[in-house]
Amino acid sequence: MNRTAILPLVLAILFAAGLLLPALTTGYWLGVALTFFMWVGLVQSWVILSGLTGYLSLGHAVFYGLGAYVMVLTWGQVPFELAILGAGLACVLLAVAIGVPCLRVRGPYFVILTFGVSELVKFIVVNIEAGLGRAGRLIFGAPLIETLYYWIVILALVATALAFLVSHSRLGSGLRAIREDETAAETTGVPVTRLKVIAFALSAFVPGMVGAVMVLRTTYFETIHVFNPITSFTIVTIAIIGGSDDVRGPILGAAFLMILSETLLVNAPEIYMIILGALLILFVLLVPKGIAGGLTGLIARRRREAGS
Amino acid sequence: MDLLLSPQLLASALVLGTLYALLALGLNLIYGTMRLLNIAHGEIVMIGGYVVYWGFTLASLNPFIATVAAALAAALLGVALFGSVLRPMLRSGELMARVEANSLLIFFGVSVILQNLAALAFTASPRGISFLDEIIEIGALRIGADRLVVIIVGLAACFGCLALFRLTTLGLAIRAIIQQRDAAALVGIDITRTNMAVFALGFGVAGLAGGLVAMIEQVSPFMGFPYTIAAFIVIILGGLGNLTGSLVGGLLLGVVETYGVALTSASYRSILLYGVFIAILLIRPEGLFGKRRQR
Repeated sequence: MNRTAILPLVLAILFAAGLLLPALTTGYWLGVALTFFMWVGLVQSWVILSGLTGYLSLGHAVFYGLGAYVMVLTWGQVPFELAILGAGLACVLLAVAIGVPCLRVRGPYFVILTFGVSELVKFIVVNIEAGLGRAGRLIFGAPLIETLYYWIVILALVATALAFLVSHSRLGSGLRAIREDETAAETTGVPVTRLKVIAFALSAFVPGMVGAVMVLRTTYFETIHVFNPITSFTIVTIAIIGGSDDVRGPILGAAFLMILSETLLVNAPEIYMIILGALLILFVLLVPKGIAGGLTGLIARRRREAGS
Repeated sequence: MDLLLSPQLLASALVLGTLYALLALGLNLIYGTMRLLNIAHGEIVMIGGYVVYWGFTLASLNPFIATVAAALAAALLGVALFGSVLRPMLRSGELMARVEANSLLIFFGVSVILQNLAALAFTASPRGISFLDEIIEIGALRIGADRLVVIIVGLAACFGCLALFRLTTLGLAIRAIIQQRDAAALVGIDITRTNMAVFALGFGVAGLAGGLVAMIEQVSPFMGFPYTIAAFIVIILGGLGNLTGSLVGGLLLGVVETYGVALTSASYRSILLYGVFIAILLIRPEGLFGKRRQR
């Protein structure tokens, strides 16, 4: 079989299986699959900016949180499908607004800046809610988990397709050029600022919608919870473990995280976190291309050995 | 207005500022010489805090002595970490470049590991000691003796560090490495030994800060993160690699935070801190006192 046909086929099988799952199971495992596809959607989006340009965002929780906030504010006033789309667009706008000033800053400065912005927005929303006299909001009459599940699978699919298309486009080449040497890219005529802002905006779109759907799943809005920086950290960890310049990476990373969290998170949360921390260090140092990159290397070596 | 002029407010700004300066000094030292952003800095504070807590509770060790022990333990930890992990890596240029580029992620991993090891060992519940509870009156100022200790010991340690940088050969070597690492190696400075000393000093100062924190506040496994963030804000404020800037920046942030909260309300504390942080990063990323340099 043609090698390039394998990846789309495997992805098609994965998402088809995802969409068929509610016919087979409704309970616990549907929740697990929902969480899995949620991380796929978030990490594939993150990769569009951070995987391709090397501008590590440690603040993607801000988009998840804003999406959830948009949903909660408009709940009961507009159809929730429209609110999900609105949440995505609001996050694109926010990404452009903060991207223009922030993306001038490079390296570790950018990383802590994104974290700082995310926390700042969180505390602003906390104060707005406190000013309104609200301590958490309940959502009544949220859609069934099956409906939300389909939304999340579709969003994961959209994010994967987006990551794939960007990665294989002129835009993707430009973004990689920025990662390798931004000054050289700029000199040769790559419009670096515009490309970075576009990538940031694209990487905010799906996370906003994911946040909007997920707050309907919990049926409870608590600012500190939806803007939790742990979300940002987990996205980065999944991308590093899975591999961040390869469409398979976020899927493999999310699957790995699900296995780890299913076995350990409930019974031994501290050990789960310790293992996660250790894996992050090991992968950064020893497997910088992640599971996906390691897999590619392994297959290439097998081929060479079989060929010789 | 009376509130703003009260010596009490100035004293609490000083307590906070001293701790911030102490923390930022250690963080900045390690970044300046080795280009490593130690996100786990706050966890060293946490470890120092636990040394004092357990020393006082189990061995009824005087907190002053326990704080010295905390500083020494943290310094030893720094040396051990440097010797076992970083020194072997320094030999491989490629690996070290990767460590430098991803130091935030690596130390984040270290931080998560330390937090959860502490939670496993000591449970997540906060613990506190009561020490030097009496109130001291100096003129119009009424201050807890423990807080006065924090100011005095903390400032002494800060100025001690600055004197070390200015007056000793080691300090000269450290400043040379911060300015020009490769040139420093060329003129015969032992980079590895100096870096090890930097790790000992940076971690030791954080351990000392942890001991001081344990005298005035409760310790818990997850107490370190806010201190890390504050230290980051201070070194951005004072300039990455600028050691005197850390001292001034720390005191400044303590004043901004204390008076800002007094003028508005406690709920604006985080907005204020992150607002200052982002504004400085966007407007003057080289820090308030830094020279503009090419990056």
